[in-house]
Parts: sequence; structure tokens; C-alpha cells
Amino acid sequence: MATENPLILKLEHGARLTDEDRRLLRSVAVETRLVDARQDLIREGEVPDAVHLVLDGFACRYKMLDDGGRSIVAFLLPGDFCDLHVAILGHMDHSIGTLAPCIVVEIPRVKIEELTTHPRIARALWWATLVDEAILREWLVSMGRRPAHKQLAHLLCELLFRLRAVGRASDGMFELPVTQEELGDALGVSTVHVNRVLQQLREDGLISLQGRLVTILDLPALTRFSTFNPNYLHLRNGPRDHAVKEVQEPRLV
Amino acid sequence: MPRYFFDIDDGHRTTRDYEGHEFPDRSAVRDEALRALPTIIADELPDSDRRIFSVKVRDERDVTVYFVTLTLVAEWLE
Repeated sequence: MATENPLILKLEHGARLTDEDRRLLRSVAVETRLVDARQDLIREGEVPDAVHLVLDGFACRYKMLDDGGRSIVAFLLPGDFCDLHVAILGHMDHSIGTLAPCIVVEIPRVKIEELTTHPRIARALWWATLVDEAILREWLVSMGRRPAHKQLAHLLCELLFRLRAVGRASDGMFELPVTQEELGDALGVSTVHVNRVLQQLREDGLISLQGRLVTILDLPALTRFSTFNPNYLHLRNGPRDHAVKEVQEPRLV
Repeated sequence: MPRYFFDIDDGHRTTRDYEGHEFPDRSAVRDEALRALPTIIADELPDSDRRIFSVKVRDERDVTVYFVTLTLVAEWLE
């Protein structure tokens, strides 16, 4: 596990931070709060006066549907701001809830505004927002055009890359503390289908599952199968192990 | 809530459900079984013109309580 603040690990991909920037970012992420699994951090319609940052755990953005169902539109991982845009947009147009127990920090809006007066940090926060959008675009493609088994495989690749960028995954292994129902809510498919697809990926030797621990056994095969290209995550250093090189675009920064 | 297990057969491979899923009533179980069928076909278009897709639902006693099949029959007419 990484000891460095995941926010800093993440933002380093978006801007060349100085020691002073890092010190500043660390100073806003000190008052942490432990939140149980399946709790709302903020609900649709609310006007929050603080921005939530996930330091540990697993949360999501979601919208409730008429029939009582839920559509998960983003997974929020360590280092992710939940509602950075709210500093500008005002009220929430969706809800944010934890899926696993989380360590979160609430950063007052004024602090965020203060942070943005530092050019490299401002750039990094802007970068983070743009990457969120890029992920949403990719989910839109997945939802609309990828069959469910490839969609799930694609999501697993994405989670590996995102968690690895903040030191929360190694050797193709990461914790996925979500239920099959929650995966279904994120993919827009039934729980039964998620179960079937996970089993197929296991039988085909692409992944293994032990409780909440996911191991990607054959990353090149999984990326080929799901046509995953990490370019949309805009990670600076990129993946280092040879397994991933072949899926990288040369123009990837 | 009672737990049900959905075994899916796409004509090539059978996936047995070891986890199970909870449903409030039988009509929700039926809905889920029916909903699974078109998704299976959407994942991979069948390569043959005859294919039977099925979902078998077992309850906690391992008794099959619901079974649904979808039969694909296709042919060139000219």
C-alpha cells in the first residue's frame, strides 16, 4: 500500500507539482472522516458547502430511477474528488454514496477556490475534471456499443489502471469491494448476467476472483478482448510492465 | 428475501450460478430470467441458425422452480 496521499499520486499525472504544491495539497486533506459502506455522502438537489475527496475505499455517483432501481454513472476511487464541480455548479444533479467503507475529507469551497490560485494545482484540478469526463465518454461507448461481457472486461481493465496510478493495485491485483448487483447497476445489465459474465472470464483464464480480490491473469488478452486502450485515462507515466505496452498508443503522453 | 440461482445455457456453454440472487417474489424471479435471455444473445450473435437458449432457476433447496427457453430458428429463403 502506498503511504503517499492518493490525491497527490493522482494529480502528479496532471501537472508537474512542486514540493510547495504537495505540501498545500496535504494540508487540505488532514481532517479525515470514516464513512461506513452504503451511506450517502451527498444527495441530488443538495447544495453542499464542501467538496468531498475519497482517500480510501470505494464510492460512486448514481441516479435513482422511477422503478426504484439505481444507475451508477461513475466509480470514485482513492484520490478522486466527488463533487469538485459543485464549487461552480451549485446544487447536485446526482447523488454520491459509498460502496465500501471510505475515508473521506471534506474540503470547504473557499479552500478549493484558494487552491485554484496556484497555477499548477489549478491545472491539475482541471485535468482531473477532464479525465472524469473522458471516463464518462468511454462508459458511454461501453454502454451503447460494447456487449456486456466486453463492457465488464473493459471496466476491470480501467479499474486496474486507475487503482495502480494511486498505488492501490499491484501485479494485476486489486480489491473490488462491490456486489454483483452494484456492478450490474454500473453496466446497466442484470445481476444474473454479471454473475454469468464473471464466471466466463474466470473459465477463460482471464481473471481470478477470491472474495473481493480481483486478479487480472492475462492483461494483454483482457485488453484485446475488451478493446481497452488506456489513452483516455491520461496517465503520465503510463504502465511500466511489458504486458501493457502493446496496447499503448504511441501518442499517449 | 428468498435466494434463487440462475443457470444459463447459451447452446454452447452452461454457466452455473453459485452465488444466487435475492428476490422479493416469484414475479421478480420470472422477470429476471426473461431479462437475461436477450442479453445473452446480444453478447455474442449465434453462429448457427438453430440454437436454444435457456435459463433454469433453482431455489435454496436446489429444486428447479422455473425454466424458460428461447429458440432461435433462422433460414435463408432464397
